Amino acid sequence: MDKELEHQFITNLERHQNIAHKICRIYTNDQDSHNDLFQEITIQLWKAYPKFRGEAKFSTWMYRVALNTAITLYRKKKRGIKTQDFDTVHFKLKTEEYDGEVEEQLKLMYAAIKELNDIEKALVFLYLEEKNYREISETLGITEVNARVKMNRVKTKLKSIINP
Amino acid sequence: MDELDILKKDWKQQEATLPKLSYNEIYKMLWKKSSSIVRWIFIISILELLFWGVLNILLSDGEFWKRMEIIHLKEFTVGVYILSYAITFYFIYRFYRNYKKISSTDDAATLMKNILTTRKTVKYYVGFIIISTALTSLVYAYFTIFHHAATTEVTDPAKYSFSITQWLVLTAAIIFSLAIFLGLLWLFYRLIYGILLKRLNKNYKDLKNLEE
Repeated sequence: MDKELEHQFITNLERHQNIAHKICRIYTNDQDSHNDLFQEITIQLWKAYPKFRGEAKFSTWMYRVALNTAITLYRKKKRGIKTQDFDTVHFKLKTEEYDGEVEEQLKLMYAAIKELNDIEKALVFLYLEEKNYREISETLGITEVNARVKMNRVKTKLKSIINP
Repeated sequence: MDELDILKKDWKQQEATLPKLSYNEIYKMLWKKSSSIVRWIFIISILELLFWGVLNILLSDGEFWKRMEIIHLKEFTVGVYILSYAITFYFIYRFYRNYKKISSTDDAATLMKNILTTRKTVKYYVGFIIISTALTSLVYAYFTIFHHAATTEVTDPAKYSFSITQWLVLTAAIIFSLAIFLGLLWLFYRLIYGILLKRLNKNYKDLKNLEE
């Protein structure tokens, strides 16, 4: 029974691991921290899995637990910045697809996202994942109005960074 | 096209660059120890509850009760103990109930609130300990000063009579050392509390502002 549950869980997580990796990209700045956070997310998901009865989709449930881990549960370890990790952690752009100006804008926006506070990061993440306001408010536990106002502020913030 | 739409489009392309963990790599992670803040809070809170509980028991040996009798505070002390045990058990019960409520499957705001409430229970307990320690210390100091002398055999009364100034100095010294002790205690708790919960408090505030 437990083996069955374990297998089910790992298969699900393997299939949806991108969700957690994307959160790690937004919330961490080097590869070790990325791995650390991913591991903590996995542990939290696994601990909570017995409560997941399949009434929601695994992915929907995973968004919630993974974001909770990043915002609330995870305790950052102190680390020096390792320069060699720079490339693996930062967002990679397919430079051949964009003209110079757009590429520059994207770079600025990704850099700006890293500077946001934890809650703003969560909002941007949910926006980029195309979650609607109802889902966003349910995931974060705030009213839809609050979610809308906050989202607009973050969007304005990001836009003002690329169009000063 | 809006800049944010471009970002959204690129975000999807980023998926291709994400790491891919294998079934076995994920399997290995399941057995690693969590380093979550809830685990730390639980450990520290239990240590605090134990520390004060054990300290209370250790300090109240036979010698202690004899001294209480001398200064006419035995009944008072028994009362204080019963009360303080009752309150301690109440706090432990509250702590346990709040701790049980913490669930990573709640929405972010509820999760944060439950963690903060759990920690607050311990904070109130410590507050209770500090205040009750201060109050009882003052009562004991008072009784020690006014009843202890009566049981001592006095050979040279001059040695045992204090001038007004000496009394003032003594009282000041008692209050001063008490204040230092409690101040250090308070600082220590601010430190633990601050280190553990700074980020959580900030995030909760960021999340809930605009509401209420």
